[in-house]
Amino acid sequence: MTDLEILSNYIRNETGYEGELSPELDLLEKQILDSFSIVQWAMFIQERFGIELEAEELVRDNLSSLSNVMALVNSKRSASVGHGQNRP
Amino acid sequence: MSSSVTRFLCETAERLPDKVAIVCRTRSATFAQLHQEALATAECLHEIGVEPGDRVGICMEKTLDQVSVILGVLFANAVVVPILPRLKQPNIQHIIENSGMSSLVTDSDRMNEVTGFADRTKLIIGHGEIDTDWPNLPYMRRFIRPRMFFDRIGNDNAAVIYSSGSTGRPKGILISHRNLADGTNIVAEYLGTNENDRICCVLSFNFDYGLNQIWQTIRKGATLYLHNLALPNDLFSLLAAQKITALPVMPVIITKMFDKRLKLATASYDFSSLRYVCTTGGRVSDVMLRDLKTTFPSAKIYSMFGLTEAFRSTYLDPAKIDSHPTSIGKAIPDCQVLVLDENGEECPPNVVGELVHRGATVTKGYWRDPETTAKVFRSHPRFPGEMLVFSGDKVRRDEEGYLYFVARGDEMIKTKGFRVSPTEVEAEVVRHPEIVDAVAFAVTNIEVGEDVACAYTTVTRQPLAEHTLKQYLKTHLPNHMVPAYLIHFESFPITGNAGKLDRKAIKQAAFERLGAEPQSVESSSVQV
Repeated sequence: MTDLEILSNYIRNETGYEGELSPELDLLEKQILDSFSIVQWAMFIQERFGIELEAEELVRDNLSSLSNVMALVNSKRSASVGHGQNRP
Repeated sequence: MSSSVTRFLCETAERLPDKVAIVCRTRSATFAQLHQEALATAECLHEIGVEPGDRVGICMEKTLDQVSVILGVLFANAVVVPILPRLKQPNIQHIIENSGMSSLVTDSDRMNEVTGFADRTKLIIGHGEIDTDWPNLPYMRRFIRPRMFFDRIGNDNAAVIYSSGSTGRPKGILISHRNLADGTNIVAEYLGTNENDRICCVLSFNFDYGLNQIWQTIRKGATLYLHNLALPNDLFSLLAAQKITALPVMPVIITKMFDKRLKLATASYDFSSLRYVCTTGGRVSDVMLRDLKTTFPSAKIYSMFGLTEAFRSTYLDPAKIDSHPTSIGKAIPDCQVLVLDENGEECPPNVVGELVHRGATVTKGYWRDPETTAKVFRSHPRFPGEMLVFSGDKVRRDEEGYLYFVARGDEMIKTKGFRVSPTEVEAEVVRHPEIVDAVAFAVTNIEVGEDVACAYTTVTRQPLAEHTLKQYLKTHLPNHMVPAYLIHFESFPITGNAGKLDRKAIKQAAFERLGAEPQSVESSSVQV
């Protein structure tokens, strides 16, 4: 499974959302995630991808869409293997 | 003389036209702009056919447009009926039908949620796309000439707010313009709201506490920052960046703000501008209080209490929160709180009685429900010709006059010949350093009448070892108050309408966990 599939599956299974799920869709604005489920979402991302999100990374903009999450996960991965840089 | 919040806006728009009134993400409006938007919205509503006295539903996300619509409905001489988005459909239908609203303003995004039950109700878009079949206020405002035709007096109806009680359908509470204006002035007095305040509103505008933040802002010329709380770090960043001075919250919001599963950025920000945090809608536990004090050392903490029928009854002087942490304080200005026994006599200190509220914030009663109104809004021989709110809530007053919430009228636990207050059990349970919140209730046990049961949530979301928790409680509570059943919840369900703990749902779930239906539990003993 690709990262995108992993993330999409989680959203569909956990929220029951059946509509279109484009990577750029704002999951909070469209009320697919709320203030309770976004915490679960953050926990899932950390566990599933084996990354630890710092306080400054645990913000709406990083977690509000599938594409933003993928960018975050990729930057964490490349940082952890020693190339690339942290996201600003 | 101003006996309406609309007049507050007119005055402030004249006094401080260019000051920013509302900020919502990248958008903002000055007082002059907000005033013009509200007048333009009123004129649009008039064109659409909204008549004076009409109830107008507002089912919208928290945006600048929502604020314009709320104020616009008032300026149109109509009555605001807030509907929380995502409320369960039968409840939306109930509010639409019970209020007899002529129109319903909603976001283009949520048309599907509200269409279907609204046969006789005109739908209006208050925010969002313009290419729909319905009138669109933001679009119409571009072409309309704002016009001032507000002519209500203080006695006229301003809002019907639906509040879910412990039983039955939500009831509409009828609020006058004078109620809103008086409530605004009273709260502004004890919180010291002023022109330099920057209020962060994480509350929704679907109940009186949230709406009061708008009134505080337009009354005193403060600035209101709208924020939808999702991840706490975004809120912390906003508080620091905008030098927020006032943060009104509720216990459920405090719990979300300090979610221990997430790394929090509280240490990296300067919150020294924060003047106060105020909270209402439930008990503040030791864990919550500690989190607030540690994070916001400069802020005073106001613990407040009230019911929508009388808006607000008490607040605790922030200087007393350490010495009287479980107190709901004393009566708010211009109101009196009585503690009455069954004969209507004032209870002596520390004797539990019913909280009865008299004064400026007593609302007009329940919308189209004279029977329930007659039960709750009653006169008292000591105050001829005056309506008081008989809250049904049990409270006591100590020798110094500080009030303590004991229980909702129907929630006292009768066990082993004692009458136990769920609130007193909960207050002790939440003193445990690992416990975030607790809900105590009765489980029928033929031998002792009822057993005390207590549902709880923890900082770690993991259950505590039952034996050690019971031992702990035994050293802190008299024997008859120690819960026979302790039920761990990962988190507590919240009521849709006001964001309070959904005690009914918590009990229901706990009964299921104890292996019995509530009905059978109420009529027989439970063995677990």
